[in-house]
Amino acid sequence: MEHSKQTQFSSSDKKDAGASSVVNGHCDGMLKRAAGGSSQPPAAESGSQRPVMESWREDRTRSVEDNEMSLPSLAAAYTTILRGLGEDPQRQGLLKTPWRAATAMQFFTKGYQEKIIADVLNDAIFDEDHDEMVIVKDIDMFSMCEHHLVPIFGRVHIGYLPNKRVLGLSKLARIVEIYSRRLQVQERLTKQIAVAITEALQPTGVGVVIEATHMCMVMRGVQKMNSKTVTSTMLGVFREDPKTRDEFLTLIRS
Amino acid sequence: MEYQHDVEINGEGKYLNICKHNGLCKKEKDSKDDTDSNKLSHIEKAYTTILGELGEDVDREGLLRTPLRAAKAMQFFTKGYKETTQDILNDAIFDENHDEMVIVKDIDLFSLCEHHLVPFFGKAHIAYLPNKKVVGLSKLARIVEIYSRRLQVQERLTKQIASAISEALEPAGVAVVIEAAHMCMVMRGVQKINASTVTSVMLGTFQDNPTTRKEFLELTLRK
Repeated sequence: MEHSKQTQFSSSDKKDAGASSVVNGHCDGMLKRAAGGSSQPPAAESGSQRPVMESWREDRTRSVEDNEMSLPSLAAAYTTILRGLGEDPQRQGLLKTPWRAATAMQFFTKGYQEKIIADVLNDAIFDEDHDEMVIVKDIDMFSMCEHHLVPIFGRVHIGYLPNKRVLGLSKLARIVEIYSRRLQVQERLTKQIAVAITEALQPTGVGVVIEATHMCMVMRGVQKMNSKTVTSTMLGVFREDPKTRDEFLTLIRS
Repeated sequence: MEYQHDVEINGEGKYLNICKHNGLCKKEKDSKDDTDSNKLSHIEKAYTTILGELGEDVDREGLLRTPLRAAKAMQFFTKGYKETTQDILNDAIFDENHDEMVIVKDIDLFSLCEHHLVPFFGKAHIAYLPNKKVVGLSKLARIVEIYSRRLQVQERLTKQIASAISEALEPAGVAVVIEAAHMCMVMRGVQKINASTVTSVMLGTFQDNPTTRKEFLELTLRK
């Protein structure tokens, strides 16, 4: 069955140190095996060389069964962390913390479990004779910094110019959820969202702007409380036509 | 374990005893230095396990040094365990013939929820009625730092700050109010983005005299 096959692949993927690369939700090894077992995937050693443009197609790398199987080792790792910090894991407030923290961390990375096409988009693309800008703004976003494992949160603004096909509006927010609930870098997150929408709808253009606060900068390091990071990706006519881009940026500010 | 007798009372016991707990003993601090790098590598290995179990590739470029960075970040977020109020207050208590309210408000506060190991952050507002002894103003913010940079529960944090000031200065009254947003509630679970939690502790005159308390709350919380 599909499920158990995937579980097998993902657990054997973990054991094969160099056989596959799991890059922020991409799993080369799994796809190749599903396609009928070809040779080593080309980007096995350094997953970051994989082009972002194909990222959205990837099958999920984690299943609910994987989550349950990982829980004990995650909890054990968190217990080690508590001890290493000088706390007493046996005191009342911390007794179940390793399990809670493990489940929380799995929730914060649940984007690895979800499949863009099947789970999210398939049934919500509609033919509509509309070619004016559609904007969904102020989508709350929560992610995890992949460098420090500390939360990033902010807002995402998405705009696109449909080319006879429109997307259910909440699906834009779901795309944000899938990519943000991962270990992320804000630049990559912005691009992945834009690329996913582009490849699903083939619109005339897509614009994505993210403004976020990085706890790794606020709670530690430079400790600048009010700093915000803004990244944007403009594709298609949003990139080529300055007036379209202006209209988008003005409308998300208002 | 060496820290057991200190930490097991964390959250119970009288006000005045609380500030002694939820922390390492001073005499153990020195012997800890040589094992600190040992502990760091244990935490680092734990993070490597965590990344692998979450389904990520630990060898990809962005994650190569993440276990070390995350371990150091976590140590920073819990650096309050190594600090004591005595260390920072000893030389900044002054005799001053002042017995009117002193308030330091909007002190940014960052802590870690001890139940989910996820940040919570907000502002602390502190007031005290000196009894001939005043404290350097930044020391109030430093006391907040000591107790917030630990695995905490907001109620206990508020109480610990209040009792630390009470013990050090013996003022006529102390009031502490903390309003914070808990990422464990915002990012997961119920996912209520705008919810904020407010806790307060009133000691001495602030507890006994409603007018004093009202003055504090008005001066502090009025926007």
